[in-house]
Amino acid sequence: MRITLVAHTPDVEVMVAASMLTTTSGAQPSTLHERLQANPEKVREVVGRLEVQHGNVLEHNRLIWVLEATRDEVMDVMLDTRYLTFTKLDRNRWIMSGNLRAVAEYAHKKDTEFTGKLVESLKEVAPTIHQYIRRGVK
Amino acid sequence: MKAKLLAYTPAAPLMKASGVLDWRSLLPHLGYTFAVEKISRACSHQLVRHRAASFSQQSQRYITVKRLSERVVTPPSVETAGADEFNKLVEEVSEAYQRLVEQGVPKEDARFILPNATETSLLMTMDGRSLLHFFGLRCCNRAQWEIRALADRMLEEARAAEPDVFNEAGPYCYQLGYCPEGRFTCGRMQEALDMYRP
Repeated sequence: MRITLVAHTPDVEVMVAASMLTTTSGAQPSTLHERLQANPEKVREVVGRLEVQHGNVLEHNRLIWVLEATRDEVMDVMLDTRYLTFTKLDRNRWIMSGNLRAVAEYAHKKDTEFTGKLVESLKEVAPTIHQYIRRGVK
Repeated sequence: MKAKLLAYTPAAPLMKASGVLDWRSLLPHLGYTFAVEKISRACSHQLVRHRAASFSQQSQRYITVKRLSERVVTPPSVETAGADEFNKLVEEVSEAYQRLVEQGVPKEDARFILPNATETSLLMTMDGRSLLHFFGLRCCNRAQWEIRALADRMLEEARAAEPDVFNEAGPYCYQLGYCPEGRFTCGRMQEALDMYRP
């Protein structure tokens, strides 16, 4: 299976940090988001505390991949996780999308070559969370 | 009340990368994250009924509600009749809440006496298909006034960001060309069509 990340929510980790702080801060979410966009150090610090947070903070994003795989291979993924969405492009080509929570939970559940590639595709767009998921992959 | 589209996945690059020519088939893959601010808890209860969405809401377990009277949403109907009664009760609840917190009752328990009118803010993320459905239901004349006002503001934001996708969004009568409300129809479809036409 080949997988290529083709689109994603911009500044994914800024949104994760904004989401984490929204639940516990009296500041408005748009203000938090604006402040965090200007402060990458704070984003790393907040996202670094991820393990103590609820999983829903990983849901405010969308990641979209083009997947080259057979129908059986896609069926296996679909049976393992219901939080990834698929559209068939042609015989062995698919669009697949989901959020960071879907990837994290799937990767924690299944340590396969495919989940490895899935997690690696996050390296540039969500480096702190990429490390977090890698640590969790058994 | 404020609604701001903080981030989204643009349709055009995905259409290019996938070779899909119609954005409609890509809707389930597109994501939209809004900051929704200073709505009532009554409104947020309605929002979370849209289950195909993600929410991160200000927690009353961690955030103390200071000066409740400055942090309530007052319905227009109350402003014209019943304002004294409403404001009196809010003031009483505000004082009682503060007393409970000062007496050592945890915020997570003191909040049990707070009204549905209490302001809240949250982040909400929906995929494109769910967002079109949300607009279909909540921009409708039959929707409750606060969530309808919120849906209208979100639609403005979405249209400004992705006009090709969301110029076709609005109440279901606008999306479908007929009213699906049956005998509950407001009977003002033409008015809605005129209002939502970009």
